[in-house]
Amino acid sequence: MQASRARLFKEYKEVQREKVVDPDIQLVCDDSNIFKWTALIKGPSETPYEGGVFQLAFSVPEQYPLQPPQVRFLTKIFHPNVHFKTGEICLDILKNAWSPAWTLQSVCRAIIALMAHPEPDSPLNCDSGNLLRSGDIRGFQSMARMYTRLAAMPKKG
Amino acid sequence: MDSEDDMLDAESVDDFYSGDTATDSDNDDGADYEFMGNDSDDSDDIAVSRQQKNYTVLEEAEIRRHQEDDITTVSTVLSIPEVAASILLRHYHWSVSNVHEAWFADEDRVRKDVGLLEKPVVEYSNARELRELTCGICFETYPLDRINTAACGHPFCSACWTGYISTSINDGPGCLMLRCPDPSCGAAVGQDMVNMLASDEDKEKYSRYLLRSYIEDNRKTKWCPAPGCEYAVEFVVGSGSYDVTCLCSYGFCWNCTEEAHRPVDCGTVAKWILKNSAESENMNWILANSKPCPKCKRPIEKNQGCMHITCTPPCKFEFCWLCLGAWLDHGERTGGFYACNRYEAAKQEGVYDEAERRREMAKNSLERYTHYYERWATNQSSRQKALADLQQMQNVHLEKLSDKQSQPESQLKFIIEAWLQIVECRRVLKWTYAYGFYLPEHEQAKRQFFEYLQGEAEAGLERLHQCAEKDLQTYLSADGPSNDFNDFRTKLAGLTSVTRNYFENLVRALENGLSDVNSQGACSKTTSSNSVGGGSKGKGGRGRGAPRSGGPSRNSDDSSGWSCDQCTYLNVGSPTECQMCHQRRQNT
Repeated sequence: MQASRARLFKEYKEVQREKVVDPDIQLVCDDSNIFKWTALIKGPSETPYEGGVFQLAFSVPEQYPLQPPQVRFLTKIFHPNVHFKTGEICLDILKNAWSPAWTLQSVCRAIIALMAHPEPDSPLNCDSGNLLRSGDIRGFQSMARMYTRLAAMPKKG
Repeated sequence: MDSEDDMLDAESVDDFYSGDTATDSDNDDGADYEFMGNDSDDSDDIAVSRQQKNYTVLEEAEIRRHQEDDITTVSTVLSIPEVAASILLRHYHWSVSNVHEAWFADEDRVRKDVGLLEKPVVEYSNARELRELTCGICFETYPLDRINTAACGHPFCSACWTGYISTSINDGPGCLMLRCPDPSCGAAVGQDMVNMLASDEDKEKYSRYLLRSYIEDNRKTKWCPAPGCEYAVEFVVGSGSYDVTCLCSYGFCWNCTEEAHRPVDCGTVAKWILKNSAESENMNWILANSKPCPKCKRPIEKNQGCMHITCTPPCKFEFCWLCLGAWLDHGERTGGFYACNRYEAAKQEGVYDEAERRREMAKNSLERYTHYYERWATNQSSRQKALADLQQMQNVHLEKLSDKQSQPESQLKFIIEAWLQIVECRRVLKWTYAYGFYLPEHEQAKRQFFEYLQGEAEAGLERLHQCAEKDLQTYLSADGPSNDFNDFRTKLAGLTSVTRNYFENLVRALENGLSDVNSQGACSKTTSSNSVGGGSKGKGGRGRGAPRSGGPSRNSDDSSGWSCDQCTYLNVGSPTECQMCHQRRQNT
């Protein structure tokens, strides 16, 4: 408990400093609970998510960093490895490939990389995975684009 | 016509016996003599030596020794530390030859795959880094003596290492493949670091996983599946029978780790066990929801459509769902295709009690299975009982008997021998019922031959069991040494050896799929049971007027041997004394 709090505090201070360095990620710690974080990440360019801003929720376990944090999308996203309803993410480093050397910041970077390179062979969102697997890139992109516009972009007047 | 068939059938039975048994008895003669005459001290070994040993049972200490030997070999040959050799061996499923092969083919690739670095990837040069470093997990800065690194040099503090290693060990055997916590680094973390940094409890767990891995990841070894048994069995792959017996006395099949099941093959055993576990649940559903095809008895569920049912190929029987009569009889005469008035009429008369009838039909298809299952299970429990009796005999009765009959215990081993044989026979007999269940119905000749062999086996075993159980009681409850105790010894030892031979032949015959039948099977379809009945092995119908008047005295055809009155063994050579039990020949 103490170790995880100390480590999270280190990360907190690091984040304050890095804010300028990585403009795509904005990590915010909950005011009252250092084990709850949210992040805003920008959809990577040249993907259907470009221009969107996606909100992630982190729930950090007491054994952190020996155990990985739980992360899910709060913003609706159409992506093969993200559950369409719950926002749960299927990413190896959040499960068995976790290493205590990862940080919340690097998890965000890994999620951005996942958005740019979906893994349709282990889909959590089967409709999305099937579109990609059947080679319907255009269909996939327009769906993903539509949901990005609906959910991840500021409403225009 | 009939007699010709009889003859052929008798011959096939004859072949089966004279062929195998004759050669066998030659080999066994010596052993049996020794065994018969004065019980040798090591009669335990007889059972073992009869089959060539193609496996070794390993105790924990031996397993550790083997493992250490392998590690030392690799370490010496490749000039790498033992910890590295251990990691390497585990990666290659503990095959020393595979390690050598891969290593000498492409050392760099192997090093990369396994995570054995030759030099650190991180080097420290500036003055501050030579004094203190920042841990990659908790991000605190520590003096060098509180920092540890794997071969790669990525620095983590002792506390974080301990946590990292402990988490991994408690996650399971994956801890044997532990790597440096740095995500970009693949450096292996071996037992040396675990021993340096983990708690005693975790060290013990790690060492256990390492030992288990040596057995479980190795293609040549398996744990004995008996509950609580800690021995492992090393098997020479590709060498005959898979049946092995652990030091704990549990016999199992090395291939599928089910209990020993010769003569039945692993696939059949798996099917049978699955059937046994599934059947009880399915039975109710089948009873409630299906009717068996009136012809082939396969259960059919009617989920839609008309009453005209056509069973699936190959049966293709067409019948009426309501009355289960052939569809050929239906049509205008029975009041139309969709409402069977035979059924309606009968129902009105109260002939059909729907529920009862349905139960009856389902029972037919299950009856066959139940028949075999019951016998399988009975032999199973008989075997358990015999095992318990054997234990009782060893622990209690043997000593008592030794006192009563003034015989040294070493000379009473023939009794233990007999009980061991009973246990083994029960096991074989049990599996012959699974064998029988899967023997195709249409192979009439085989079925008949099989059932005959099985019947004989059962009868022979009963004789032995009777002798070992009931006859023995007399001597156990006697007041002093009995005069005829030596006769009893001869009888029981004879029966044991005969029964053993019979069962070994039976197992062999079933394992080669009763191939003796194939050549002549077609014509023995009409064989009536009289040609195979009785204790004498297919001696009856030789044609040429051999006495067929029944009784044991019909065994006088010397040219093809005679069967012994006591043990039923078919003697070919010796004219006056049974080769098997040494009983003098009678009724000559």
